[in-house]
Amino acid sequence: MFKNHLKIAWRSLKKQPFFTFLNTFGLAVGMAGGLLISLFIYDELSFDNMFTDADRIYRIDVENKNGGEINRYASVAPLLGPTLHRDYSQIEMVTRFRNSNSKLIRRNDVQQNVKEDHVIGVDTTFFDMFGLELLVGDTQTALKDANTLILTKTAAEKHFGLNDALGQHLLVDNEEVYTVTGVIEDMPKNSFLRNHTVFISMASFDDAESIRWSNWNFPTFIKLIPNANIESLQTPLSTIYETYMIPWIQTFNPGYTIEDFRERRKTTGNYMKWSTIALPDIHLYSNDIEDELSPNSDIQNVYILSFIGIFLILLACVNFMNLSTAHSLKRAKEVGIRKTLGSDRLGLIRQFLTEAGLVSFVSLLLAIVIGVVFLPFFNELSGKAISIPFGSPFFWLVLIFATILLGLFSGSYPAFFLSRFMPVKVLKGGGESSVGGGKIRNSLVVFQFAISVFLIISTLVVFQQLEFIQNKDLGFQKDQVLILEDTDAAGNQLMAFKQEVKQLGQVKQASLSSFLPTPSARSTITFFAEGDSLSNGKIFGKWKVDHDYVSTLDMEIIAGRDFDRQFTTDSTAIILNESAVAMFDIEPNQAIGMRITNDFAPRDKGNMTFFTVIGVIKNFHFESLRNNINAMSLSLGSNSNRMVVKLNAGDFSKTISSIEDIWNAIAPGQPFNYYFMDDSFNETYKAEQRLGRIFITFTILSILIACLGLFGLAAFNAEKRTKEIGVRKVLGASINQITYKLTIDFLKLVGVAILISMPLGWYAMNRWLEDFSYRIEIGWQVFALAAFLAIIISIVTVSYQSIKAAVVNPIKSLRTE
Amino acid sequence: MIQIENLKKSFKTEEVETLALNNVNLKVEEGEFVAIMGPSGCGKSTLLNIIGMLDNPNEGYYHFDGQEVGGLKENQRTKIRKGNLGFVFQSFNLIDELTVFENVELPLIYLNMKKSEREQKVRAVLERMKIAHREKHFPQQLSGGQQQRVAIARAVVTNAKLILADEPTGNLDSKNGIEVMNLLTELNQEGTTIVMVTHSDRDSHYAHRVINLFDGQIVTESQNKPFEIGV
Repeated sequence: MFKNHLKIAWRSLKKQPFFTFLNTFGLAVGMAGGLLISLFIYDELSFDNMFTDADRIYRIDVENKNGGEINRYASVAPLLGPTLHRDYSQIEMVTRFRNSNSKLIRRNDVQQNVKEDHVIGVDTTFFDMFGLELLVGDTQTALKDANTLILTKTAAEKHFGLNDALGQHLLVDNEEVYTVTGVIEDMPKNSFLRNHTVFISMASFDDAESIRWSNWNFPTFIKLIPNANIESLQTPLSTIYETYMIPWIQTFNPGYTIEDFRERRKTTGNYMKWSTIALPDIHLYSNDIEDELSPNSDIQNVYILSFIGIFLILLACVNFMNLSTAHSLKRAKEVGIRKTLGSDRLGLIRQFLTEAGLVSFVSLLLAIVIGVVFLPFFNELSGKAISIPFGSPFFWLVLIFATILLGLFSGSYPAFFLSRFMPVKVLKGGGESSVGGGKIRNSLVVFQFAISVFLIISTLVVFQQLEFIQNKDLGFQKDQVLILEDTDAAGNQLMAFKQEVKQLGQVKQASLSSFLPTPSARSTITFFAEGDSLSNGKIFGKWKVDHDYVSTLDMEIIAGRDFDRQFTTDSTAIILNESAVAMFDIEPNQAIGMRITNDFAPRDKGNMTFFTVIGVIKNFHFESLRNNINAMSLSLGSNSNRMVVKLNAGDFSKTISSIEDIWNAIAPGQPFNYYFMDDSFNETYKAEQRLGRIFITFTILSILIACLGLFGLAAFNAEKRTKEIGVRKVLGASINQITYKLTIDFLKLVGVAILISMPLGWYAMNRWLEDFSYRIEIGWQVFALAAFLAIIISIVTVSYQSIKAAVVNPIKSLRTE
Repeated sequence: MIQIENLKKSFKTEEVETLALNNVNLKVEEGEFVAIMGPSGCGKSTLLNIIGMLDNPNEGYYHFDGQEVGGLKENQRTKIRKGNLGFVFQSFNLIDELTVFENVELPLIYLNMKKSEREQKVRAVLERMKIAHREKHFPQQLSGGQQQRVAIARAVVTNAKLILADEPTGNLDSKNGIEVMNLLTELNQEGTTIVMVTHSDRDSHYAHRVINLFDGQIVTESQNKPFEIGV
């Protein structure tokens, strides 16, 4: 029986190549989309699971509320990890990292520095914690001593060759000599250490043993003993402030009791909260947090993509259902005969499910081909390096199971629908009136187009928001700004270099600072207004800049003045931004002349260093527009690792090569790294841009699928109404009238779909926009454009069939009876 | 074999109710050949559909082989139909996707017959219908007469007791029509009961008895003289 089902399924598919194509192709496109998205999600969910005992490893994070601002950090004080390990037996082991950014590295015997972007300090427990082995070297001793480091395979090969690295010396940042004590396999692409290439022993960092509880620079991981519950650490974590921090603060504030601190916190609402996050959760659930070791993704993206994937597959299934039932006119006779000959309904249902199964397996093959072809494009789109795991039996098992499920699902309605036909009705050739199912088919078309319009709306909003970000007044000028990196390497020639660059005709202004409004150095410090007690500190950014900073980046001073070389006292001057001024509960004008300090020394000693506020700068965006503008300050300082160069309009490449010439003369052998500020700015919104591209791609896909369905339905409709069209034409209807008549029915459905999707799109996209502190309002134009697009697309799709049916000579159409 | 009493059937649309059959009484004995005649819309096909258990009456009794079948559900009707009843339609109603052989085989598959047995039966009936040389062809590759022979083969392959023919020659020229009628007569002489709806006076002469329907009621019944085959 099954063979018979299969046979007739195959033949009836072969007999209707057009419908079979629409059906399989539509389904295949949906499946290919679903396949790629599933692989993406699988990859996202796999992060950091490869580490041994990943389920017992947690990172300690801290959230700090101070003066109305809440900041979250993925790093804690150096003492915290070891202290907790000492005091709580459920902690088996602790590993601290020390953020260290990029370093210039070279062999002693080589002039040319190589920039390693991701250098990090690690404790000796690193290997045991994460279950890592060295390719070369001994894990017991490798990171024990100061000035030792291990390299990843790639880094080792870059400098020495894999087997020659051990015991060699490297010069870091042109100053310190390190010994290579090991080579480790490159970190997995889906791990939180994926970008790191150089691991420096913790003993090399002066502050690793610091007792300062305010020094939050150490991402700290703990491993619990087996079967320990992370909940058991909640109480210890919640008492860190009182158990460890207050005693430390009391050492330089002898007079204060714990009650004083408690009282103070109560009135200010300030707090510090330590928490843990499981290692495998970091990639998707750790957002809006500073000091991450690698950029994270967001579970929201997984959700959005899951929805899109499900939408796509649903669309394809709906297509299948629609086309199959529409096509039933042709199958009705067969059903009638089979029933007359003694087939029961179940048998017919089985037959149609077999057919659906067959189509979905053919589609699967096609989907795999499509998937392979579009994988590179998808990887670029998603910023991943996913491959299709053809070698994995699990993959095939899931795929085949999913295909069967899909076949059953998309075949269920047609099977149910077709097997219901009464032989008496269909065998008499009464055809169209007896087929029915029109209402359900229409609702399915509405469903498809509702999804498509929803996606169009989403795409438009995402792009509008991106456009808004691109053109928003940021409070500084990012265009025509060149950033030179690692200018430290020029040593004491740095000022000379800056002066020479400023002399170039194409250069408008130049400034030295490691701190930029685009991703770069950040430093947050506790400040106190003069006379304020130690428990009344305000934490905000302290950027070291030079005299030309504000003018180079075209920032606006709204009160007071900029730094000025005429005032030698400016070495202790400070400029606050509006948010920082607001923390002190005063107006910008009142801030001028105010004295603030970051000195923790006891207040009665009297010899503290103060900064005098000389100006207030208009708030400018130095974080993503997702965030509000935090409080920060500018003060003069040297030792800058970046140079900001504002260029005049013109030939940038010529200017850059002129600057490079100067650099090579001043700092021979040092790498010349540069980028444009607007590129770096755009980098910040990569996630949004990616989302935009993903939306546009899958919107097009979903429209394509919906159009395939509509096209098939239009063909079916025209066929069904052949006689009606013939009669109408005999009675004098024009081709235009017929075309209009055939098209308008579909447009009504699209209209309903538009009405349904608008409120949904409005709601969903407003939710998405809520993530941005600075965002657009969704205007009516978005909806108008989406509706317009949907209507145009459906007219184009339907009109081909309508016109084709309308131009047929009525004699021919009437004869088909 | 068939006993119908006070049968009523009506079709309702939103506004009108059409009475298709009104108080029909009919008895068909085993081995009979009955022709039902009448103008278009008189209820011939409706009656045939009810006899063929493709449809249920609204009122009245229908006994088939002594069993009341008028009120059965679709699945129960299917069960009785299988193997007992054969259908021959004006438009042949072969499945286009199946070959001649497979079309004829289909009712046997629904009877869950073994494959070897099926093949044997199908071959025999195709031989008999003189269509065996076409067994691998698809319906569309055959002439109308050949298609109807396949349809008859399909109707009799299960050794059906009753064949219901709905204008079996309606789509055929006279030569092919006569051939089909001769086949049916032959089957009848071998003991198969036949109920046939027809417009054709010629065809009605093959039957033992002719029933004339008008507006859903039997108006006349006439007996035919035994007819010479081949006229």
